[in-house]
Amino acid sequence: MAGPLTADTAAPAGPSPHGEKARRSRAPLALLAARVGLVVLKRATLLAVLLALVFVTVELLPGDAADATSERGESAADTEARRRLLGLDRPVLERFWDWMSGLPTGDLGVSARGEKVSDLLSSAFPNTLLLGGLALLLTAVISLALGCWAALRPGGRVDRAVSGTATAVLALPEFVVAVALVLLLSLWTGWLPAVTLTDADGTPADWTMLILPVLALTVPQAGWNVRIVRAALADEARAPHVETAVLDGLPPHRVLTHHVLPGALPTITAGLATSTGMLLGGAVVVETIFNHPGIGSVLASAVTDRDSPVIAGVTALSGAVITGVLLLADLVRDMTAGGRR
Amino acid sequence: MSPRTRAVALRVLPALLLLALALAGPWLAPHPIDAPVAAPYAEPGGDALLGGDQLGRDVLSRLLAGGRDLVLSSLLVAALVTGGAAVLGAIGALRPRVGRLVERIADVLMLLPAVLGILLVTLSWPDGGRFAVIAAAVVLGVPYAVRLAAGAAAPVADSGYVEAAAAGGERLWHLVLREVLPNLRATLLALFGLRFVAAVYLVATAGFLQVGPQPPAADWALMIRENSSGILLNPWSVVAPSLAIGLLALCVNLAAAALAPQSGRKAVTVL
Repeated sequence: MAGPLTADTAAPAGPSPHGEKARRSRAPLALLAARVGLVVLKRATLLAVLLALVFVTVELLPGDAADATSERGESAADTEARRRLLGLDRPVLERFWDWMSGLPTGDLGVSARGEKVSDLLSSAFPNTLLLGGLALLLTAVISLALGCWAALRPGGRVDRAVSGTATAVLALPEFVVAVALVLLLSLWTGWLPAVTLTDADGTPADWTMLILPVLALTVPQAGWNVRIVRAALADEARAPHVETAVLDGLPPHRVLTHHVLPGALPTITAGLATSTGMLLGGAVVVETIFNHPGIGSVLASAVTDRDSPVIAGVTALSGAVITGVLLLADLVRDMTAGGRR
Repeated sequence: MSPRTRAVALRVLPALLLLALALAGPWLAPHPIDAPVAAPYAEPGGDALLGGDQLGRDVLSRLLAGGRDLVLSSLLVAALVTGGAAVLGAIGALRPRVGRLVERIADVLMLLPAVLGILLVTLSWPDGGRFAVIAAAVVLGVPYAVRLAAGAAAPVADSGYVEAAAAGGERLWHLVLREVLPNLRATLLALFGLRFVAAVYLVATAGFLQVGPQPPAADWALMIRENSSGILLNPWSVVAPSLAIGLLALCVNLAAAALAPQSGRKAVTVL
């Protein structure tokens, strides 16, 4: 830690380009590590609070897993016995501690049917992550490409067409998009499979079966993010250094990639990170439609069984994933802001 | 009427017409929504203009009847979210410590995807029914709205007349309701539009996931779910409610965009 600091003070004073560069690249390393640690700590705390909140929600609302799974005409004694079996008769604080301390080790509790929630989700969640990850990637590519294209000629025909379409599709629920896609690309043209079939190992049998679910997830999110990219670029285009670049006679695409985009990047990343939650929620819906083997199908049976421990486990997992993505966005913001300060 | 007002009115009109149609729909339905009038998945024709659904019930009648609850629930959610966010945002702008607390709570709730949050609440509270969906949608909508409201309230809270009123010993409620919020009318109207769009999405998705209205109720989202297996036999049984939800989301969204206050920025000329 002392090395960079002494090197920094030894560098010649004054605005020599070499000293400036050295200070920027080496001196803040320790500072950067501290800031990364702080950001990680903050995000972890938020996640822990969310998990506690999830437990309290399940706990405070009337009815528990034993009530929810009771058959019609079951005696109160039977329900009571199952409550004891599921450990629901223990004190609240003890169960809270059990649930919270189990989470970091991957133990997500027991479903109302007595199965381990982590077993239920271990094969399903990766499939959902694949779906959501592909959709996020596609969203990023589409929104950056269309946003930049529209930004090259503000108010032009392309700009109006892109912004108008984005506004139109961003509010569509995923299942409506999915119905339209299935009708167009599957049932009427026969190009793509309408349902996902699974192999013996529980993964989709063919990659073409991923196309429609990913598209259904991407369309509304791409709508949101095109608007965010477009607005971020427009904001950044008003900065004085961009005007200088334009007056220097640089070609528009170079101004866009070298002078506007870097400054707009934090906003764009934050927008994409916020989409992660929407994508995970939307995946639940889209998976039900296409019969994709993800958490959507697990949750669908949880809905019929009124199985709240399962949904609490899914919420914990998705909260962790979103925390990870937001953390990445935080770091991108810190990096770019650090370079500009 | 100025050109700008006329342009806004033109873009708000489709949404209002559609809302009125959805609200009046149940009275216009030609057939009862729970009795078969045709064969299951019958093609359009004769008595049933849009054919029959999985039980042979009239798709057109169920389409007309199936929007009112969705629209009413969404309006209620949007009103509660906007009201709650406006008050919280204004308090946050006037009392920075409260503002930071609200901000942290919003950070936490952002980690919970709204669809999962709705499932969490409705499954933990099986008897909650429609009220559980509305409550969950409100709780999960406020964090997103409160940022916007707080951002708009901050400059107003810093203005001279609010400081004068605060120095004059006015209570917090007076400052919030009489000094700050009346100046946010335009922002709050746009926020209401945006939250209505989000509420339609959430309430419809809850219906599709079968945690909202239960059969045999007529509900657009539930119709799509129930009839999806017959989409080839009578496409209208799925396409019609899909179009209805899609149009509703689209029109309301365009209206909300038209209502958004003009920021007064000049159009960007270079790049």
